[in-house]
Amino acid sequence: MIVRVWGARGSLSAPGPATVGYGGNTSCVELELADGTTLILDAGSGIRELGQRLLERDRGVLHLCLTHLHLDHVEGLGFFAPLWRAGWKLRFWGPPSTTATLRERVSRYLSPPLFPIGLSEAPAEAVFEDVPRKPWRVGSAVVEAQMVEHRGPTLGYRIEEEGHVLAYLPDHEPYLTAAVDDRPRWVSGWALAAGADLLFHDSQYTADEYVGRLGWGHSSGNHAAAFARAAEVRRLAMFHHDPMRSDQALEELYDEVADLLRDEQEAPLIAREGLEIDLGTAS
Amino acid sequence: MERTQPDLVLIVARSFATKLATPTVIIDARGDLVYFNDAAGEVLGRSYLDIGELGVSRWQELFKPRTLDEKPMTAEQTPGGVALIERRPVHDTIVIGGLDGREREITVTAFPLFSRPDHVVGSMSIFWELPAAP
Repeated sequence: MIVRVWGARGSLSAPGPATVGYGGNTSCVELELADGTTLILDAGSGIRELGQRLLERDRGVLHLCLTHLHLDHVEGLGFFAPLWRAGWKLRFWGPPSTTATLRERVSRYLSPPLFPIGLSEAPAEAVFEDVPRKPWRVGSAVVEAQMVEHRGPTLGYRIEEEGHVLAYLPDHEPYLTAAVDDRPRWVSGWALAAGADLLFHDSQYTADEYVGRLGWGHSSGNHAAAFARAAEVRRLAMFHHDPMRSDQALEELYDEVADLLRDEQEAPLIAREGLEIDLGTAS
Repeated sequence: MERTQPDLVLIVARSFATKLATPTVIIDARGDLVYFNDAAGEVLGRSYLDIGELGVSRWQELFKPRTLDEKPMTAEQTPGGVALIERRPVHDTIVIGGLDGREREITVTAFPLFSRPDHVVGSMSIFWELPAAP
């Protein structure tokens, strides 16, 4: 499984000289599975450039797992080239709802007045499904989705292939559920991340910022570190960087997180656009 | 690593209950008692931290739920059990035996916890101790 980051910013795209090092595009991670299947995690603005890259290959099936439908996780769809080319099949998975299908909910963004062209006009074949309750197979991987603590229905994902595990929880505030006792099974998202080789986790705030944003659905760097420790992951990738966080400030936050995890697991990393990790060879 | 865990709805319900000042008990889909808050501990006679999670037969044995006319209730007949099995809200007054040796009449409002429209993961019971008769 090859992991490529196309967008790691949270909440709002943040281009500019202060963020050029780690990138300003919102959430999008591509997984190239061993059998060649492409699995895409979220459709933030980072998916625009991924789409251009995908046009270089033969048309086929793409699998897109959406964690939730906040704009920073779907805003790139309008500019995702395969959606606007006949011959592609896009298979979307997303959180369940009691009020509308996934297609209807995504269409709220991909329709006027928020977007000039409707999803129904897209030439590609787009199939939308709520995630199954149990793990399911996508290509050569097994995917598991569970609801996690965030504002509104939100999923985290666990993707396992050939004994390697990627966990993806870009928007997650486990601290809200961690106060009852110290058993990790009662902490949101723990089972998805447990023992993962690589965990992409929300690290949006500093500890000071979090105090004023409790309940907004995101984590501080120190809470991300605590969650990574509780889940006994091999390596934490800080993700969903605050749009106000400059590269320099992000590295300062990284230093705090790295200190908290020193001697316990591999040094964490800051997810950045262009980052590529082969989980099959990373051990 | 064993990595099973309760549904998020149960996790969040439990977190919510910790913050409530009203006595609250949560059971899971098997009927096991997975949490009661501090206020419930005052009525049940022990704290959750002392007791922890209890299997369905164990909490029935410990708290001895009964109707007002002293008929023993199975776990399935308690408001929380009915809410779970019949997937509907329940309001009832019952008697329980506290672990401090006191018998208490409590009025219970219980409701099922749905994670999806067709999937119940447990029930939550909120209750009030009735004042002793003069």
